[in-house]
Amino acid sequence: MTLLPAADMERPLEPLWRGLLVYRVLTLVSSVAVVLYTLDEFASPVGAMVVLAVMTGWTAVTTYGYFGGLPGARDGRGRFAIADLAVTSGVMAATLLVQSPAQIAADDPVMGSIWTPGAVLACALFWGVRGGLAAAAVISGMLLLISATFRTELGDIELILLVGIVIGFASTVLRRSAERLRRAVAAEAAARERERLARAVHDGVLQVLGLLRRRGAELGGDAGELGALAGEQEFALRTLLTTGPAPVDGEGRRDLAAALRVAATSRVVVSTPAHPVELPAHAVDELVGVVGAALANVERHVGPHAPVWVLLECTDEGVEISVRDEGPGIPEGRLDDAADEGRLGVARSMRGRVRDLGGEIVCETGPERGTEWIIRLSR
Amino acid sequence: MDHQAVTVMVVDDHPIWREGVARDLGDRGLTVVATAPDAEAAVRIATATRPQVVLMDLNLGTGTGLEAIEGILAVLPGTRILVLSASGEHADVLDAVKAGATGYLVKSAGAEELLAAVLRTAEGYPVFTPGLAGLVLGEFRRTAGEPAAPVLTDRETDVLRLVAKGLTARQIGERLVVSHRTVESHVQNTLRKLQLNNRAQLVRYAIEKGLDGE
Repeated sequence: MTLLPAADMERPLEPLWRGLLVYRVLTLVSSVAVVLYTLDEFASPVGAMVVLAVMTGWTAVTTYGYFGGLPGARDGRGRFAIADLAVTSGVMAATLLVQSPAQIAADDPVMGSIWTPGAVLACALFWGVRGGLAAAAVISGMLLLISATFRTELGDIELILLVGIVIGFASTVLRRSAERLRRAVAAEAAARERERLARAVHDGVLQVLGLLRRRGAELGGDAGELGALAGEQEFALRTLLTTGPAPVDGEGRRDLAAALRVAATSRVVVSTPAHPVELPAHAVDELVGVVGAALANVERHVGPHAPVWVLLECTDEGVEISVRDEGPGIPEGRLDDAADEGRLGVARSMRGRVRDLGGEIVCETGPERGTEWIIRLSR
Repeated sequence: MDHQAVTVMVVDDHPIWREGVARDLGDRGLTVVATAPDAEAAVRIATATRPQVVLMDLNLGTGTGLEAIEGILAVLPGTRILVLSASGEHADVLDAVKAGATGYLVKSAGAEELLAAVLRTAEGYPVFTPGLAGLVLGEFRRTAGEPAAPVLTDRETDVLRLVAKGLTARQIGERLVVSHRTVESHVQNTLRKLQLNNRAQLVRYAIEKGLDGE
């Protein structure tokens, strides 16, 4: 059987279903052989033969049913597994009809014997550990109903429960890890595609946009405006291509430097270290939010074209972010007024968010110096 | 400084950009002695034409700008390298500066800004954007705990932080009550420390690996 490499990811349980089919056929042969060998002991040898025929036929049906449809087709194996459980229970119940009282008293194997856990395997594969346990309970219950003594069946019941749990867990874990693998492969493909696009675009559109901006600026007038627009697009496109959304690692940490760089525009200069500055994802989100609020504030109070500088530094104590503009500054007392009036002003939203993180935020402002917000967070 | 006396080479893999920049600089009176599309050609042509300033893109089609910088400075150590690159290549920019580039300008800079930067580079001054200052500052902080790592003086750190916050040399001079020339020399020192450390590390690496002529 040749499986495509993608099969492990798309249909991680296929090998186990194939294993179930092999198990079914081998145990069928063994059960048939045992029954035929002891046929003259049965109360109804014909009845025993009929049960064997049903088992053989049902094995053929499940071989078809469990083989699995085409990739992507609806998986109808759950219904087969339930039918399997019913047929298997029926085969076991037939023990009371075909075996002699002497056989039952001697605790001979029930009809189906080791063929019967096949139904437990199927349920465990399809529904995971819960399905496995439920099916094991059904088969164990049948065993107890038919069997003369509970004590001799205890070992079998333990084995059946074990199969239900182990295969159920295996099925659940395989499914989950295949899902993770699928997501990882998709993310990698997306990153590769972005890289490919970035290379192609770098060599074409970006350069032309850049040139347009330069020439436009020289010509002035309408052409200058056109050039400025081209410049904005160039910047936006370049940022889009070079900065993906900052991923969260296994420990829930994110790179604050990468997250802040996304905020860069033609008027917002973002300076960061070259190495990743990793913090808990929640703290990164909050800090980016606070910086965003400060940037929005500059746009509102200083002007939409006012330049802003954002600096991220790793200090000995932790991280420090500065957001600086060269506007007219904030008059003394203005921030406190805004907070007193109960408005959701800068002060409340920014200070509150930083305080919740356990950090501090200070504002340095003056008529000649513009405004600088400094946010400090200890590690 | 006489513009015409400044000789420039432009290295960029994209022909439209390369010729556009070369023409801009030529129109403003500089002497563009050569252009090159990749790292190998850049080293070869620079060796032949000996430009004072090399305008270097880092993202070349074949080879990287870093290889070109190392190659050119190995043959012509006096050459001044000004990186003109797309934003977002922060790690590459830092490597280029460690390898000996003395300035960095984003490609979205205007033609006048570019001319000023080339002239400053030719005079031997570093061209620091706030972004580059942030990278250099981060690098010194990162290596702070390592043995034999270069250390900035408090004054150099202050200057670098203010550059990273977007202040001009003049504004920094006013805040720290020093002349803007002093500010320039602090910036120059930080760059030199970074490059010396890079060279020292290369030598140490070579000795460890037994490449020292044995």
